Amino acid sequence: MAAMTCIRPETLDEAVDFLHHHGPDTHILAGGTDLMVELRSGKHHRSYLLDISRIDALKTVQISDDRSRLHIGSGVTLTRINTLPLIRDHAPALHKCSFTFASRQIRNMATIGGNVAHASPCGDTIPPLVIHEAAAVVAGIDGSRTIPLLEMNKGAYQSALHPEDLVVTFILQARQPGFFDFQKIGRRKALATSRMSMAVMADKDDQGRISFMRFSLGACTPTPQRMHAVESLFTGRIPSVELMNQGAGLLAEKMVEITGRRPSITYKEPAVQGLFKRMIYPMVTWCRQ
Amino acid sequence: MTQTKIAVAFTLNGKKTVKDILPEQSALQVIRDELGMKGTKEGCGIGECGACTISVNGQAVNACLMFGVHLDGCRVMTVEGLAEEGRLHPVQEKFLEGHAVQCGFCTPGLLMSTHALLGENPAPDDDQIVQAISGNICRCTGYQQIFSSVRAACALSGQGSERENQDHKGERC
Repeated sequence: MAAMTCIRPETLDEAVDFLHHHGPDTHILAGGTDLMVELRSGKHHRSYLLDISRIDALKTVQISDDRSRLHIGSGVTLTRINTLPLIRDHAPALHKCSFTFASRQIRNMATIGGNVAHASPCGDTIPPLVIHEAAAVVAGIDGSRTIPLLEMNKGAYQSALHPEDLVVTFILQARQPGFFDFQKIGRRKALATSRMSMAVMADKDDQGRISFMRFSLGACTPTPQRMHAVESLFTGRIPSVELMNQGAGLLAEKMVEITGRRPSITYKEPAVQGLFKRMIYPMVTWCRQ
Repeated sequence: MTQTKIAVAFTLNGKKTVKDILPEQSALQVIRDELGMKGTKEGCGIGECGACTISVNGQAVNACLMFGVHLDGCRVMTVEGLAEEGRLHPVQEKFLEGHAVQCGFCTPGLLMSTHALLGENPAPDDDQIVQAISGNICRCTGYQQIFSSVRAACALSGQGSERENQDHKGERC
């Protein structure tokens, strides 16, 4: 393997400045759990390894004064997402996804920023971030800009980020919903890459009608999706088993619209409906309490 | 460009260690190849089997996925650090008593996952035990003996062990 030089900045400015000069020839190292596998596969070599794990500014988690926005630093590990009360309270589906994210060993290293920037369709943090209408704050030499999460990926493993960009933080619309969930299907229970994942949060009015709903489908489409059609179907209605079944059919239809009828659809069409029902049935019960 | 090595300094099983390593070297390569400590095993090499589990600042991590440069400044423990003065660690004792070892390849990783669990939570319930060792694959035992042995070790640690507590102060850097 050709030589690689490791740079270990202590501040955000140093990192941004380095990327400005060497971005296209640099691997950004946060938790490293995806990067190590990629490097070992020998797919592409770059001259620099920029280790951003020492930059404290990337590790903060804060809620805005009016408690409407939750800021999660890109360098926050999945273990911290799993243990911080602020995240559990204001982004509960994201908190839930951290229980089944890879393994304990990986959660102790992997970061939310890496999970998103890697642009893998099966990033488990993505559907929970989408339902919170998250945006990434990206730092560059000319200042920072904001990219909505839904625009972060151009396709599978194709990030919209430039080589000079560094994701600093994610801004989520904080919410303490009455109902939330994250579900996924993998080949086995622990340590499985998601074949399919989904996140939901909802609130109801006094009559048990859905007054607010956000729903996102992950892993089985090339880029993250917020399913507006599913949200509209439920909003303003008291969910029933019939409505749930109708929603499952609609979701499968929307998924096929995006992916086309590929060979895996024989599995995915019933699976996406099954997972949806597993997730939404408790919401039906909750609305009728 | 010349091969640029980088100095990392960390505590390995209580001993100060300094090593010049290559940026792309994994913690596993540093521990096994550079330092000659062969207790930590390489299984899958992609973070799926847990055979390479070590404890870094009290947290279980896959040494195969961890960059060696991230060891810098950390308190690292491998399976070699468990026994003290020729006496097995209580977790090792319980693995022996409970027949939790067959071929033994997964054992160092499972011991370290258990050790990290006990540091974080000295009295875990069954679900927490399953969660903590679900990142370690064993192809021989069928897991039951491992699970019972971990539970027996937890019962011991629930009574309080000074050494466990000392091992788990501080956060991962």
